Amino acid sequence: MITVLAATLLVAGVSAVLAAILLVAERRLVAYGTCTIDINQGARTLEVEGGGTLLASLMANRIFIPSACGGRGTCAYCKVKVLEGAGPLGPTEEPLLSKEEVAANVRISCQCKVRQNVRIEIPEHLFSVKEYRARVETISDLTHDIKLLRIRLLDPDTLEFVAGQYVQLQAPAYGDNPDPVYRAYSMASPPSDSHVIELIIRLVPGGICTTWVFEMLKEGDEVLLNGPYGDFRLSDSQREMIWIAGGSGMAPFWSIIRHMDEKGIARKCTYFFGANKKRDMFLVDEFRAIEKKHDWFTFVPALSDPAAGSDWDGERGLITEVVDRRVEAGGEKEGYLCGSPGLINAAIKIIKAKGVPENCIYYDKFE
Amino acid sequence: MKRTPDEERVLERMAPGVLSRDGFLGADPRPLNEILATDQAEVDGLGVTHAAIAARLRAVLLAARDAFGRSVPVGEGLSAVYHEAMGRIPSPWPGEGVFPKGEIELADQRSGHTICYTPLSVHLIEAHGFYEGRGSRYRLEPSEICRMLGLGEASA
Repeated sequence: MITVLAATLLVAGVSAVLAAILLVAERRLVAYGTCTIDINQGARTLEVEGGGTLLASLMANRIFIPSACGGRGTCAYCKVKVLEGAGPLGPTEEPLLSKEEVAANVRISCQCKVRQNVRIEIPEHLFSVKEYRARVETISDLTHDIKLLRIRLLDPDTLEFVAGQYVQLQAPAYGDNPDPVYRAYSMASPPSDSHVIELIIRLVPGGICTTWVFEMLKEGDEVLLNGPYGDFRLSDSQREMIWIAGGSGMAPFWSIIRHMDEKGIARKCTYFFGANKKRDMFLVDEFRAIEKKHDWFTFVPALSDPAAGSDWDGERGLITEVVDRRVEAGGEKEGYLCGSPGLINAAIKIIKAKGVPENCIYYDKFE
Repeated sequence: MKRTPDEERVLERMAPGVLSRDGFLGADPRPLNEILATDQAEVDGLGVTHAAIAARLRAVLLAARDAFGRSVPVGEGLSAVYHEAMGRIPSPWPGEGVFPKGEIELADQRSGHTICYTPLSVHLIEAHGFYEGRGSRYRLEPSEICRMLGLGEASA
């Protein structure tokens, strides 16, 4: 018995020593030294300590690549084109990249280590992305499962953005969640007040960030966010617009319509907003007020499953059915879609069938 | 029994707060291998396969998904609603891609019972025979699903 115990302790001790030797060896022998990250053909050049991930190295130098999962290689937001120096594609990257992306040297930057000099390409607008410390001014209920957050920026105290863009809000570590995570939310406020942003957030059952927002976040709390991101915005054309959204897909349109109202952008527009029951509908009075003010704007809210005997006097049916009924020739129009992938895909089908050209359809898929 | 590095990684990703708030194992005290083996035995005893169960759940999901939150009939006495949500969630088994968030409520008017599952649930059942741990929001009992969906010997 004593012999067995002694043997066990000996094996454990030897294993611990070997592990320690390996750790020290990795630190001393596998030192990558200082590596250079060349961004956009010399537009920015960073000197970083080698060995870290590309994402972490960029963030340490205040270059924020979108990332929702805190570098765990699960969200696939942090794609970066690496022209040189990335090393072979890792097994955790492959499932998150299409064949075309692999062929174009796109990498998952949180899984790609900087072990030598690298050359990368990132969209120019990411140079404008900053991290913000902010304070929650108000939290209000829009529906039973959607909240409106009004957030005042503290440091920096202004955020310049284009109506339609989004930020990433950080949910800190809490409860059983050991690490902060970021989640993307479209800004619902107009760009005119650059000191404050509004976010429309819908509760995701079991969601890490939305559970924190709904159960823990309080008015007066400080939060961290970064942005602005995204290409969803009004085009430069004068084409008549069809807007289609559901649920928290309302957010960018609430920003855009108020921006249009403030700036006198009188582009003809019909906004189709779909919800299931009356309790899921929100901002109806606010949009009706804008509709009353401007003859170029038409608001069409629709319920797909109003309760029996409901006093709902708006359109009824799936929002895609309502669009199909009410939109005629679409050849000279543009489509703007925001919501779940299922809604977007169905809406694209409908408006393409109406003649809206594919290159005139813009969308922000919540995925 | 000692776990392999791959198994350790899967278990890390199943823990609360890593991929979702509550994780995938609920309050189940059993090791993952035992959860899988027990459910495998139950499915074998029902005379069905994980693939058949997953296929049926997927068919329900697709029918409900196209209704954008409206309840749809999906079989005798059955109705389903798909509540879509923003974002994607990866499989706890690394390298298997990401899946839409959101959940499907499948209600059986005959028994008054309702189950909840996700697009990821369908993949986990099909690829791994994993029905989640007991106490997890999306735990599916094989015998219960088979009874609801009219599969195998549970439907007899």
